[in-house]
Amino acid sequence: MEPSSNSSSEEFELDPVFLNSRREACVIFAVWFVCMIWAVPVSYMMGYGREIVPGNVPTVFGMPTWIFWGIVCPWLVADVITTWLCFKFIKNDDLGVAPEELAEAGGNETATGEAAAKEGV
Amino acid sequence: MTTSFLLAEGSNAALITFMIYTLAVFGIAALSNQLLKSKSFMSEYFLGSRGLGVWAFALTFAATSSSGGSFTGFPAKIYTHGWVLALWIGSYMVVPICTMGLIGKRLNQVARASGAITIPDVLRDRFNSARFGLLTVVLIVFFMSFNLVAQFKAGALILKVLLNDVEIFKSFSLSVAEWTSGVGFFGSDSQYLVCLLFFGVAVIAYTTYGGFHAVVWTDVMQGVVMVVGVLILLPLALNAVGGLDRATQEMSKMTPPMRGYGIVQLDDSSSGTAQLDKEDWLKMTDGDSTRVFRVAASKTIEAGTKTVYGVELLEITTPSEIERILAGETPSEFLDGATVSRFSDPGARYGKATITAAHDLSLEPYQPLVYSLDGSTQGYYPVSNVSLKQGVAQTISIELPPDQIDSSKKGTSDLSVSSVSTKSVKYASGADTPGVYVSGPGPSATDSVGFLSLSVAISFFFMWAISGSGQPSNMVRLMAFKDAMTLRRAIFTVALYYTCIYVPLVFIFCCARVLVPGMEAEPDRIMPEIAVYLTSGIGAAWLGGLLIAAPFAAVMSTVDSFLLMISSAMVRDIYQRNINPDASEGTIKKLSYLCTLIVGSAAMIVAVNPPDFLQDIIVYVGSGLAACFLAPVVFLLYWPRSNVQGSTIGMLAGFSAHFSMYVTGAFVNDSFFRPYRLMDFDPIIIGLFVSFTVTYLATLATPAPPQELVRKYFYRKVES
Repeated sequence: MEPSSNSSSEEFELDPVFLNSRREACVIFAVWFVCMIWAVPVSYMMGYGREIVPGNVPTVFGMPTWIFWGIVCPWLVADVITTWLCFKFIKNDDLGVAPEELAEAGGNETATGEAAAKEGV
Repeated sequence: MTTSFLLAEGSNAALITFMIYTLAVFGIAALSNQLLKSKSFMSEYFLGSRGLGVWAFALTFAATSSSGGSFTGFPAKIYTHGWVLALWIGSYMVVPICTMGLIGKRLNQVARASGAITIPDVLRDRFNSARFGLLTVVLIVFFMSFNLVAQFKAGALILKVLLNDVEIFKSFSLSVAEWTSGVGFFGSDSQYLVCLLFFGVAVIAYTTYGGFHAVVWTDVMQGVVMVVGVLILLPLALNAVGGLDRATQEMSKMTPPMRGYGIVQLDDSSSGTAQLDKEDWLKMTDGDSTRVFRVAASKTIEAGTKTVYGVELLEITTPSEIERILAGETPSEFLDGATVSRFSDPGARYGKATITAAHDLSLEPYQPLVYSLDGSTQGYYPVSNVSLKQGVAQTISIELPPDQIDSSKKGTSDLSVSSVSTKSVKYASGADTPGVYVSGPGPSATDSVGFLSLSVAISFFFMWAISGSGQPSNMVRLMAFKDAMTLRRAIFTVALYYTCIYVPLVFIFCCARVLVPGMEAEPDRIMPEIAVYLTSGIGAAWLGGLLIAAPFAAVMSTVDSFLLMISSAMVRDIYQRNINPDASEGTIKKLSYLCTLIVGSAAMIVAVNPPDFLQDIIVYVGSGLAACFLAPVVFLLYWPRSNVQGSTIGMLAGFSAHFSMYVTGAFVNDSFFRPYRLMDFDPIIIGLFVSFTVTYLATLATPAPPQELVRKYFYRKVES
């Protein structure tokens, strides 16, 4: 399967939108995986099966310590990474035009042209 | 000012909010219908002409994904299980980037390249296979139909909770009960029927008339209502409880309540029929101490009765909580002239049994009886008077004492027991253990390993972030955004939106656990309860109304999307693409309106008598769709070698693996909706694993796809 090779007189190359999207998907999947191996083990080690002294639970900003380090902290980091991905990493690719958009654009141009002709512009 | 008064005031505000909201929704539908006249009908009605901007795209995606569960089920779970819910919902930290970023850009590009309007369109065109397209239509209609009925039921139940104390609603429901009496189909719950009718007509009308844009714009409105509501509630809750640290420390002292049957003694017998209402507060004096109970299920008191048997009660077990309740520091008002004289033994079990008598028989409360069923013999008590007719099966409330009953007691040989379902009076996990609400795995009434074991926590990390990417209702939105810049900004917006919704929700309902005790009897009501409690403190009942309308908005935004997905599958994927490809736009238009109307009405009619297991159906459908669709879609977007054979086999394998976990559960756990957990993992993990593996292997084992298809979707001409 080598569509990039010559077929009649035309040459083809892999679509950059496909390549960019695949690269971005791999990084996003890695982000999900890192968040999981941070949140679940940290929460489990710090928050499960621990002796609790009623009324004297260690907290950070009012929440149990394990919630802060296991969930809230990675959540904030994930938001920062998401922001970076959105504004720096994900490419602003041209996604193409759908057939009905082409048809509408054509129709509008025709309509504009007809209107202009009627008005004698 | 009593709690009931506050609720009534808040509910009236909710009614007004609901009416304003409904009018706004119809206004939006009218505007959307104008758009339909100026654009290609099919693309506009089902896909918004692929022109969604950042706010519309972000908020429709967020609102559809959130569903009613975010404002009813999720708060109820936080209240019931405590801080561990932060881990349960933890993967929402990456849900926006995963569900929108993993496949969004590429799916949008492929849909544009093929001119696809629906998800079956994409799958069919990508492989140029009408059969594969039809298979996906069948699966979507199968899953979505179940879900639509469940969501209609959810919408009606939420509305019923919101309007519970509105006088006009109560009197109208009574009238409906009179009109429908004698017609078995309508059931006995006229309030549910009225709410279903209001909810169903509103959703069907605006979705049918306005199409995709109406759905999107109402989603935007609903999304704003939700986030504004949460951000107002947060400071109010923190202020009322005295800070988050105090809430955490109070929660660390709490132990789970007990639930069972009791006897309520009245000071004076009632002259007419009366009722013990759900959530009424009662006391029992036990030596020097006072025990505190809440009615867990309404109970009718016959005229002339002083002793009420078989009252389902919830006992508060935390000493500090009992002190605060007795001191009047919580919105808890005890019922005058009624006390609890007996409550289930902590080691007992309580529940229902279906029994049949060999001859007419009367049973006294707590008369010892013995049954043999499935090889085991067990003693039990009926908890109230029971009159049995010869040969007629009857379901009664029973208690199973912790100690064996003497099987020689009389009367047992006259009865046969065909089924028994019981639960422990004490929580299966976390009972009598302070600290369970601030640590993992969290208390559970039914599961002895606790609410969120390690494997279940991992499963939920897959469930929200990964399986969310495989939902056709999310995918169709990914086909509708305008350009890549819109996608990038929308992901950022949704990430902030979810951070502003889900983290504060955990804080708010941990505070609610301290502020409003005893809600385990009906945890789904905690959102309206806390909203009214907090806003009444600042004299803003209208705000309470707005806040308690938020869950209604959330479920509405989910239902309209599903409705449109089913009708698009029928009109576009079955009729236009398989039966009449040359159908005129006028025909398609009429058929689309008609189909949306018929599908919605049919779902509403089925929801008059909906199946039980509401949340279970929603979970089954969500995970089932992901098991079927995620692997084929990911491969068809990112793997040029993927072909129709591999995708078909993988899709069916995912469906079968997931379905077989549920079928096995029906045999092993006696319920289809208690699926078998292979290696303790949720069926979604098994379904996804099988689906991805089989799709990959089957693709390699079958011929490569035609070169022109690969070229169309993966290559472009080199510009000279």
